[in-house]
Amino acid sequence: MTTLLHRRFDTGLVDRLVSEAPATITNLTDDHRRSLSARFRAAAMVGHQRLDAWSVEQAGRAQRAFAWSPRTARRVLASGALRRVEVQPSLTLLDAVRDEVADQLLRATSGFTRSGSLAHWLASSANPVIGLVTSEALGWAVQLDEVVRSISYPRSIAESDTYYDVSLARTTLRGRRDVIVMNDERRVVIRVSSGAPGKSAGHGLRADLTIDALADPGGFAPVRFIGLWPDAGVCLSVDGSMNDLRAGARDLVRSAVARRRARAPIAA
Amino acid sequence: MRSTRAVASDGPSHDQHTQDHDGQDEHGEDGDEHVDTLGRVTALRKSVAMTTLLDTPVPSVVDALRGERHRRPMADHHASSGLRAVLEDGIYELLAGRQLATSTIVHSSSLRDSWSVPELASSSVARLRGVLLMVLLRLLSVGVQVDAPFDDALCAWRSQSGGGQLDDAFDRLEPDELARLSTEVQAHWTTLRRALGVIPAIWQPRTGMHVSQRLAGGDVVLVDNIDLMFGSTNSRAASVTLLDVTSSPLAEGAERAMRYHALVQTLRSGVVPLRTSVFSSATGELWIGDVDHQLLMRSVRDVLEALERDWSAR
Repeated sequence: MTTLLHRRFDTGLVDRLVSEAPATITNLTDDHRRSLSARFRAAAMVGHQRLDAWSVEQAGRAQRAFAWSPRTARRVLASGALRRVEVQPSLTLLDAVRDEVADQLLRATSGFTRSGSLAHWLASSANPVIGLVTSEALGWAVQLDEVVRSISYPRSIAESDTYYDVSLARTTLRGRRDVIVMNDERRVVIRVSSGAPGKSAGHGLRADLTIDALADPGGFAPVRFIGLWPDAGVCLSVDGSMNDLRAGARDLVRSAVARRRARAPIAA
Repeated sequence: MRSTRAVASDGPSHDQHTQDHDGQDEHGEDGDEHVDTLGRVTALRKSVAMTTLLDTPVPSVVDALRGERHRRPMADHHASSGLRAVLEDGIYELLAGRQLATSTIVHSSSLRDSWSVPELASSSVARLRGVLLMVLLRLLSVGVQVDAPFDDALCAWRSQSGGGQLDDAFDRLEPDELARLSTEVQAHWTTLRRALGVIPAIWQPRTGMHVSQRLAGGDVVLVDNIDLMFGSTNSRAASVTLLDVTSSPLAEGAERAMRYHALVQTLRSGVVPLRTSVFSSATGELWIGDVDHQLLMRSVRDVLEALERDWSAR
């Protein structure tokens, strides 16, 4: 049995979900990691693979190659802008987004960015495209800011997503996270997504929960993982129980298996 | 509806108003040829100082939407669940136990269709014009300098379009259609830029918001695109303002669309917005409505009527 909750947006919803999160913190041990690694090794492919919540939601189906666009760039820039505003509250969000874009362009001109990076793409984009990127990033930043401001607990904007390399399996797990809320020693992680949650959104959320726990040096899972879909006004959450962590790990392994099958040559 | 205002796209500048107030023009001191003519036709003793409408500074769209701060009501956090319940009940009665094979998707255009001329509104050039104008609005909202409206809009749009129907439609345009589109975009952009005014960054403008709401267990999906929104849902006083920019002249359907934006935003965020508005870049008209219970209930009825029409047609 899983702990998936479905709620509609209302005032103080995130605060309630944080305060009502379970008190017990689940810990993933080395045995769990070894067991997971063995399963991924059995489903390993020739090349390196990266799995995330979206690949779980898509049941391991092949995804389109990633390409930067104003929409794909907005999240990175918006999170950076919000971190700037936390440090310098007098900044407006628009100014913070502009600073973030300028920072990326500066990195590109310094010559230390690799081809395919956001800075590289921005530097090669025309002015109207950068304007559209700014507009998209501002929209995202405002949404995220509204979520953050509705939380009364100590919170921080995540510096980056979580990554976990599964040993000897040529597999990297990438977990999305946007806001980290601390309720005493308990950690609650919030992920903000666009659009509306699909039928497999709960599976994706559990995958992110598991990756977050694996990426934690001590293996401590968040007590609750909250997914927000502001466009749809919907919120889902799962608790960091062992059952949910196991379910998340199973879904990740399944998507790896499905991906390997899809790539394997069809026997005559 | 609180008020209906027209914003002239090319109103006189403040300097011109000052000159008119001083009455210097009527005495022909600036040597203007029209003033000279006026002087010959009408004797000076027949002229009297009078106030004209043009002497009033024309408010920008942003000024009009700002309104008076001290009159803003407290944010309503309770209406959302009631509206949802009325919608759910209405859909339940309309369905009367029927099972739908697919979800019914309601757009703001679903409410407009019975009032507008579909051939004009849905032509490729008109749709492309609307999309490019929307891109320009997005650039304008973050203070980007636009030098070549058509080229800039096209460049920005191409960076995020995913090879859909509109891309194909654009590629199929004949040179004369392309030229017409370019001219239209330029004209609409000029109207929009002059009328909108500067959006303060502190209002946190966000553009091109895609919003959806599932009702009746997913049998009905309300989908909406909000062109421009500003204000916060976290503030104690209502401050969220919605603006729909259309490149068509305003008709009765536009009022329904305005209400629909307010309804979907209320259902989505749980907070009733302060104002909803629609601006036509074709005519420079702006309609503004304060959002209240009546307006939202009318929108609920609009949605239920649209669903009834759709289901009875099946």
